[in-house]
Amino acid sequence: MSVPNISAFYFGAISLILIGLYAVLVKKNILKMLIGLSIMETGVNLLLISIGYISGKSAPILSEGIEPNQAVDPIPQALVLTAIVIGVATTAMTLSAAIVLYKHYGTLNVEEIRRLRG
Amino acid sequence: MVSVLKRSLAIITLLIIGYWLAQGLAGVPFGQDKMLVGHYYLDHVKEQTGAVNAVTAIVVNYRGFDTLGEVTVLFIASTGVGALLWERKKRRTAKTEGSIVLTTGTRLLVPFVMLFGAYIFIHGHLTPGGGFPGGATIATAFLLLYMAFTMYEIPHKAFEKTEGLVGMGYVIVGLIGLAIGGYFLFDWIWQTWGWGHDNIGRLFSGGFIPIIYILIGLKVGTELSGIIDNMLKEGVKE
Amino acid sequence: MNGQYASLLIALPLLGAFFVPLIKGLGKKAIKTYVLIITAIQTGIAAWVFQQVYSTGKPIIVMAGGWRPPIGINLYIGHFAALFVLIVAIASFLMAVFNFKAIDVEPIDKYAMLFLLLMLGATGMIATGDIFNLFVFMEITSITAYALTAYNKTGEAAEASLKYMILGGIGSSFFLIGVALIYGATGTLNMAQIAQLAGNIDPTVAQVGLALIVFGLAVEAELFPLNAWAPDAYQAAPHPITAMFSAFVVKAGLYAMARILYLMSSVGTWHNVLKLLVVMATLTVVVAEFSALRQRNVKRMIAYSSISQVGLIALAFALGTQAGVDAGVFQMINHAIIKALLFLGVGYVAVQLGGADIENFHGLGRKMPVTAFGITVGAMAAVGIPLFNIFWSKLRIILATVEAGYTWAAFLVLAASVVEAVYYFRLIHAIWFEGEGERISESIPLVAIVVALVILVVAIGIYPNYLWSVSQKAGSDIFNVAQYIKNVPLMGVGA
Repeated sequence: MSVPNISAFYFGAISLILIGLYAVLVKKNILKMLIGLSIMETGVNLLLISIGYISGKSAPILSEGIEPNQAVDPIPQALVLTAIVIGVATTAMTLSAAIVLYKHYGTLNVEEIRRLRG
Repeated sequence: MVSVLKRSLAIITLLIIGYWLAQGLAGVPFGQDKMLVGHYYLDHVKEQTGAVNAVTAIVVNYRGFDTLGEVTVLFIASTGVGALLWERKKRRTAKTEGSIVLTTGTRLLVPFVMLFGAYIFIHGHLTPGGGFPGGATIATAFLLLYMAFTMYEIPHKAFEKTEGLVGMGYVIVGLIGLAIGGYFLFDWIWQTWGWGHDNIGRLFSGGFIPIIYILIGLKVGTELSGIIDNMLKEGVKE
Repeated sequence: MNGQYASLLIALPLLGAFFVPLIKGLGKKAIKTYVLIITAIQTGIAAWVFQQVYSTGKPIIVMAGGWRPPIGINLYIGHFAALFVLIVAIASFLMAVFNFKAIDVEPIDKYAMLFLLLMLGATGMIATGDIFNLFVFMEITSITAYALTAYNKTGEAAEASLKYMILGGIGSSFFLIGVALIYGATGTLNMAQIAQLAGNIDPTVAQVGLALIVFGLAVEAELFPLNAWAPDAYQAAPHPITAMFSAFVVKAGLYAMARILYLMSSVGTWHNVLKLLVVMATLTVVVAEFSALRQRNVKRMIAYSSISQVGLIALAFALGTQAGVDAGVFQMINHAIIKALLFLGVGYVAVQLGGADIENFHGLGRKMPVTAFGITVGAMAAVGIPLFNIFWSKLRIILATVEAGYTWAAFLVLAASVVEAVYYFRLIHAIWFEGEGERISESIPLVAIVVALVILVVAIGIYPNYLWSVSQKAGSDIFNVAQYIKNVPLMGVGA
């Protein structure tokens, strides 16, 4: 097994994804799981952005002397904009479902909810 | 004991996934030019869309379909939150009034926050930003009001209607494109009417991008405020 | 009329949904009627598109914004998409009729919007020709599905929905990482161009990216390790929504998976991913059938049965042969009809008798004879008895599986069918030979739908040839990637 040679930016993004996934898999409180999900989404967005980066170039806003060949790839940035909004929407939905759940069971602990249902 | 086992199992799984992801990413070198379609956008964005900000041009114009979907996703979230937290009658139940700093600060800041939000979405085709951040900024103004005053409520019926109307506005702009230019979401202002061609880099340019961003800004602002409203209020028995 | 008008398939449900807040004061009945009208118009447009595509034999390429792919996003409405967009619209229309009986929980205006947007999401997923746009439509579908699962606002519903959200969230993150990898390797997001460039991608990147995408879509497509949400969600969701989940939401996920899988078929490591998928699909079939055996709730039982048949479709797609894909498409159509029928029948029984527990089905043959008849036909067809439609598609899938060299998978699937027969005949026995009951009057429109679906099931069972030829066309639309690339008017950017 060789260690893959990746840049620090990719490493950071992957670490965030894994930390988020860890929270989702291990934590018992639903809110903490949802936080894990958000961390994971952040990691994915960072990964997308760093894939679009080109060393030494600037933001793709072509005003005041920035020529097309001096800008980084604009597509991943556009994608991330969409992905962030989708992430916000998912978070809002999950939180409101958690509110409904809490109203019925009085707890957000996964294990206790399972016990309540029998 | 069980939890230690579960944890270590999870960590092992994660390490395998991480290694595997890293292996995949090793084939996508960092910092190198991997653009294919990207170059086309950068080279033609000014003449084809009139926007200086290439990201905005892609989001609203070249890949406008994604943005329509994105707006829909947010609409779904606000509708879904409304559906899940629905009560026949809802009222605010907060008891602690905001401190003097918060209330005074809010009174001072709210108009400026809203102005700034509007600035962001109106200038989406020129500067970083656009309808989504602008709308979110406007929603924070409402959030401030909610935090500072226990009695404050947004006019949520009007907000819901605005959401619907503005969303329809976006689709209708797209359908006008279908009628004038023959394609759904066609930029008829820039390409058919040719407005603002001498204005690139100034406010009145960018074809339908500013119009759509104003619609999106209003929509996002009302939707996020609606979500806040739904989550803060609690049902009361009649 | 110009093919670009096919974009109305997307524009109409959107406009329809955005218009609902303005009419929310008019009352429940008006809103339900409004949804019925919108779905009827959508069915009309879909029928027009279907007729266009099948009479000319050419796909309709909708170019959003007038930009040619890969600069802009295009919709690709070929033989497959035209067929399934029509099925989505018809199923939504039928369920809009069912809404009148089944939905009583407030707020009905939100329900109407979510209903229309679920239809939109599935339509978009099937029609789109851009991999990131697929992600957006997938999120539209799944977020509406989350909201609708929890719509009844009971504890179970919220729990099912949260389970779905957490799995769905992980799935969509994985999908997005996969998209990022493929974008990083090719520099484009257009499906046709990705297919064109797929041969040149570094095989490791392609394998990891493809596997991530398959994993991400497996949540929507309900494949084995990631389908834990499905039975709960099917049980907790409102009855029309359950039928829609089974009839087309799953199908959209499966189709997206098959499409991306075959687009990447020129990648060297492709067969590794296929093998993974064959294993996942076979496990889905077996595990779901054995879980169904234990269920006391009929709706949950049929949910498991639906999952197992979805596994069968995934197996057919994972074979990597033309025969497999054709059979899979055929099974998709048949499954949509059968499950719409079964969930409609069971949902109607649950509405009338207050719950879908097996006890309520005792003596159903005397209480609600037409519905009971419909459920019986659906159950017999689902098992795969000759003279009913599923028989033909199941037979073809098993033959294709053996032909592709996966004899063990074919054997396991056959064994699972025996299990399926056991629980379905137990249901039929409960309906006709146990318990007593008084006749309850059945609603005329629903009875009409049940009878129409039954006739369709039997008609396809006796004359499968027309539908088989349609499925073959739709199947080659997925399988024949070279033709797909040729059909999309790619602009020579970079390539």
